[in-house]
Amino acid sequence: MVMAYRIINKRRHIGLQQLSSFAEIGRSLIGPVKSSKFIIDEESHESVLISSTVRLLENLDLTSAVGQLLNEAVQAQNNTYRTGTSTLLFLVGAWCSAVEECLHLDVPISIIVSVMSEGLNFCSEEVVSLQVPIHNIFDHMDNTFSGLETCSVTLCPFLQVSSDTGLQQEELDLKDVASQSLTNLVEVDKNTSQTLKNSLFADTCCRKSVLNHSRHFKRPDSNEQISKLDGFLEHGAANPRSYRCNDLVELAVGLSHGDLSNMKLVEEAVQVQYRNAHMKQVNSPAPFMFDISKIFTCCLPGLPESFSCICPGYVTAVSVSSTNLIKELQNQPVRLVLIEGDLTENYRHLGFNKSSNIKTVFDSMKLQEDSSEELWTNSVLQVLIQFNVNLVLVQGNVSECLVEKCIHSKRLIIGSVNGTVMQAFAEATGAVQVVYITQVNEDCVGNGVHVTFWKSNPLDVVDRNDRIAILLKTEGIDLVTAVLTNPVTAQMQTKEDRFWSCAYRLYYALKEEKVFLGGGAVEFLCLSHLQILVEQSLKKTNHASSVWLRNTSSWLASSLEIYRPTVLKFLANGWQKYLSTLIYNTANYSSEFEASTFIQHHLQKATESGSPSSYILNEYHKINSGIFNSGISDKLEHIPRVYDIVTPKIEAWRRALDLVLLVLQTDSEIITGLGHTQINSRASEGFLFL
Amino acid sequence: MTSNEKKNNGPQNKSCLCKLTLEMSRLEAKKPSLCNSEPLTSEGVRATLSVWRGIVSSCYGPSGRLKQLHNGLGGYVCTTSQSAALLRNLSVTHPIIKILVTSVQNHVSCFSDCGLFTAILCCNLIENVQKIVLTPTTVIKLNKHLLRLCTNYLNSEACGCRIPVDFHSARIPLCLVRSVLTSKPASMLTKEEVDHISALILRTFLLTIPENAEGHIILGKSIIVPLKGQRVTDSTVLPGILIEMPEVQLMKLLPIKKSGALKVALFCTTLSGDLSDTGKGTVVVPCGVSLESAVLDQLLNLGRQLVSDHVDLVLCQKVMHPSLKQLLSAHQVIAIDRIGVTLMEPLSKVTGTQPIGSLGSISTSSYGSVKNLRTAKFGSKHFFHLIPNEGTICSLLLCNRNDTAWDELKLTCQTALHVLQLTVKEPWVLLGGGCTETHLAAYIRHKTCNEPESILKDDAGCTQTELHLVAEAFCRALESLAVSLEHDGGEILTDMKYGHFWSVQAHSPSAVNWSDLLSRCGCGLYNSQEELSWSFLRSTRHPFAPQTCLPREAVGSSSTLTVDCLTAKLGGLQVAVETANLILDLSYVIEDKN
Repeated sequence: MVMAYRIINKRRHIGLQQLSSFAEIGRSLIGPVKSSKFIIDEESHESVLISSTVRLLENLDLTSAVGQLLNEAVQAQNNTYRTGTSTLLFLVGAWCSAVEECLHLDVPISIIVSVMSEGLNFCSEEVVSLQVPIHNIFDHMDNTFSGLETCSVTLCPFLQVSSDTGLQQEELDLKDVASQSLTNLVEVDKNTSQTLKNSLFADTCCRKSVLNHSRHFKRPDSNEQISKLDGFLEHGAANPRSYRCNDLVELAVGLSHGDLSNMKLVEEAVQVQYRNAHMKQVNSPAPFMFDISKIFTCCLPGLPESFSCICPGYVTAVSVSSTNLIKELQNQPVRLVLIEGDLTENYRHLGFNKSSNIKTVFDSMKLQEDSSEELWTNSVLQVLIQFNVNLVLVQGNVSECLVEKCIHSKRLIIGSVNGTVMQAFAEATGAVQVVYITQVNEDCVGNGVHVTFWKSNPLDVVDRNDRIAILLKTEGIDLVTAVLTNPVTAQMQTKEDRFWSCAYRLYYALKEEKVFLGGGAVEFLCLSHLQILVEQSLKKTNHASSVWLRNTSSWLASSLEIYRPTVLKFLANGWQKYLSTLIYNTANYSSEFEASTFIQHHLQKATESGSPSSYILNEYHKINSGIFNSGISDKLEHIPRVYDIVTPKIEAWRRALDLVLLVLQTDSEIITGLGHTQINSRASEGFLFL
Repeated sequence: MTSNEKKNNGPQNKSCLCKLTLEMSRLEAKKPSLCNSEPLTSEGVRATLSVWRGIVSSCYGPSGRLKQLHNGLGGYVCTTSQSAALLRNLSVTHPIIKILVTSVQNHVSCFSDCGLFTAILCCNLIENVQKIVLTPTTVIKLNKHLLRLCTNYLNSEACGCRIPVDFHSARIPLCLVRSVLTSKPASMLTKEEVDHISALILRTFLLTIPENAEGHIILGKSIIVPLKGQRVTDSTVLPGILIEMPEVQLMKLLPIKKSGALKVALFCTTLSGDLSDTGKGTVVVPCGVSLESAVLDQLLNLGRQLVSDHVDLVLCQKVMHPSLKQLLSAHQVIAIDRIGVTLMEPLSKVTGTQPIGSLGSISTSSYGSVKNLRTAKFGSKHFFHLIPNEGTICSLLLCNRNDTAWDELKLTCQTALHVLQLTVKEPWVLLGGGCTETHLAAYIRHKTCNEPESILKDDAGCTQTELHLVAEAFCRALESLAVSLEHDGGEILTDMKYGHFWSVQAHSPSAVNWSDLLSRCGCGLYNSQEELSWSFLRSTRHPFAPQTCLPREAVGSSSTLTVDCLTAKLGGLQVAVETANLILDLSYVIEDKN
């Protein structure tokens, strides 16, 4: 065992460089208009279409230490909140450059760490003023999403309006936008995938998966078509301070971030859950909570997008061969059994160790007529017949042979069922989950499940894998399934990811009972607040600095004030970069520079006003009062606001900065357990050996 | 080789060749052992030692730099600056470094804290001594004298750098915990988070102290429960034991119908229905006999006994057979399996049960009880919460944003808890932030100058000149240890009254009024507005007597102090000097090259 060691912080910090180059990949993933990317493995010629940070990192080769740390941070954010990962990735990149700039100016590392993390604390405290409380949202449940469908999506980003672009020409019908953007993508996918593959497989010597920035996937004509979904400012109430949100539809639209079709599904799911809960507790109405764990997705690739819908109950796809069986089961309630684990002959519960040295000898006189598999299958069938069970839900795998046999005897077995679904059926039907079929007794059997086709004409909805969707329902079950369809198999994953990201956004908004004014407003406030802090500390007006050094008595404590404005300035640059990329990705600016100039203009105004937060709120108000084109004033009533979720967003910032600062403070990389063969190649990279 | 084999062609021939080479290697003569005399004089060893010193000293202190440890093959990346994590992952080859690493690891396993202190001091001592032309025997002897001088001083009432700890007030214990937390930057805590975690650690520690203690106090145990991905400020501590469980499994056990005290049985054997180990050979079973069902019958009998004994809660370290669980739940007995080995000892302690290790009949004395059983949800995790009748076991739910930072925080918390335990035994803390080291160096210099005979006592073998040389090397080692706290290019000063540690920006104008530039000393006890005089630590100074006997009122006034655990630091000092002596004493390294 040999250990290699290298100093990664000599002149330019290698770790930071690596980190910012990884983060660079994710530039196009922030904002509502995301450019998809193809990742192609040059060895296996497999390709993946991705449009989210998590999927991007999943498919990249991140074996370097820094790459792994980045992946770890993104995964942690994703596992906890399911949202905010693109923000995280982008800010990692932006703040990496900020930190590098500080290093160029010889700012001591400890000071960068302290000032930056304190600066972010200031920002997190400041943006509280842009929180919008959510009140009694379920008192207005008579509104439906249909209202939304007729409203226009003239979400003029505030920057757009001020640059004197007419509002009217951007008005597009919501449905058009959604479907158009989709068809564009689909067409592009079909037309270009082949050529893309051909052109990119030329070089096969490299082992790593290579990321291709594909021009074809830059949204076609999106500047004209779908650019306005992320408004920077929207109309508000007359009093700029009294923003509140008490309408579910409004909230959902605000949180859709350009993905109205998926958000509509989520909103419907909430409605269904609300109605279920309402029916259950007529007498004692406990406050309703949106329970995301009771929402499921069923993906049916190959079906048109318009088939996507929300169904109360459990929808799952089964093989076409069971069509006749389902037709027969359709008309009466059936009895069910729930099996956790596999339903195969050789399955034993987890943790059971089979002895390998046991041999069964058969009586030589009696020859075995059936194989043991057949014996087992028959015994299972016997149990099902005995308890008159027609439906079996299995958490694990199911023996093929058994499934076939059961189809003949009019019994349906469904495998790979989610544990929460099992639990929901257990609660609703009184069934008790068992591991082995031999455990089944009368108390374990559930009652009253209805099996139907998802669509009345099942053969119209056979998906690409020759499966048909069926619906399992029972009295009082609180499951809701989102059936997601997409004509392009490659996009199924994206569709599902986007649905969940909408669902989690709405979930956190309802859970926290507050949202941020969105569309860049919070980031803009951070930027302008930091700007003010920089000016204050340059003028030394703010002596009560709360910057905290771990090493309180170090000389750094007294030199802190000298470096503070510089570091805060660079931290602010990170926000500036984020905003200009967001606006460049979203609105019709030809360059990031132009977008950046525009932000600068507003930044000046905001800081001059003395209170950036009221400046932002006032700008919202101005739009509402029809300061711009008078002809559009009545239409503006319907402009939905854009919202953002609170804690996941702030946590994403914190995680991004933590990662950058962690890498910044790292000065050496130690690789342990190298074999002798690897040593020579490592020696050239500046490693020392111990 | 037989003729038969010769006729063979292709692959078989190859295998034949292999056999031959194998045989040949067996015949090879043994390599002679390699013997290096005076290993420390070799250039290679010195270079390795200096790289090693570079690694450990760059990690030292609150602004220490972090190290990324990984295997280069996509394995887990550990970012750390703690000796415990660093040494665990390092693999060193040279015997001298191995001795060093092993002694530091031993120290860390006994005291948790001051590992880097030990490692750096040991390296410094070796390096400094090499520059003096004295025989190792003399150096070793004198080092021992100096070590005795230090330990006597640090343990004496006259010591000017230690503070008594009064556990009636939380102030000094909190300072101690905070010092441990801030000296590990890789846990990425902000000020608020440090405050939150220090308070939490102190609370956790207090929960492990028995309420009515008479005579010997036996401290309880705190179990750290991971809750990764959450905010640090979501961390909390609960009395009792938390057993993690997937939500679906938890829902199956609910609702808990029992209230009040529950009778508990705890199994440390598997109840999964495995056949016990049948040993080598094959067991032949006639058709129609199922061993599996025989074992299951035995399990079900056991289950019936538990039911008839009115047990309410069955806990099993390993897996329980689903049929046994079904039987138990049919009789309203709560069964929880796969608890894991780490919880077994605390569970047995809290419930007063004897872990049951066989499937035979159970003696009723094995059963224990808990006061209550609840479910709890933290973040996305679900837990069973066992509340004991009385007890000193608590669960610290520790959160941090990601794995790397969590691991570092966990280690830090364990260190802090351990340090508190050590401080209860020996209720003193030393001033931190480098002040103890510089103060101690000043004290040694003063002693060797003015009372050399008191150090040498009746040791006739050493002259006073030799003592001066070795003492200077010893003091320099302590001082450069203190200097290792500075990583941003500042300079270190010491005052001529207390001998404390002060840092200042590099290249400060020389003819300057120091009291304007400096703010506080390293430990935070003194500020620069007192009438003090300073000089650079690196420059040569006249020995002076640092003020001894720390007055109580001096400690009371300053708000936040950086302090270190006395026991751990004394231990570290001893290990460092003794290891350095051991390494200096090496005259041959004999390696078996076979």
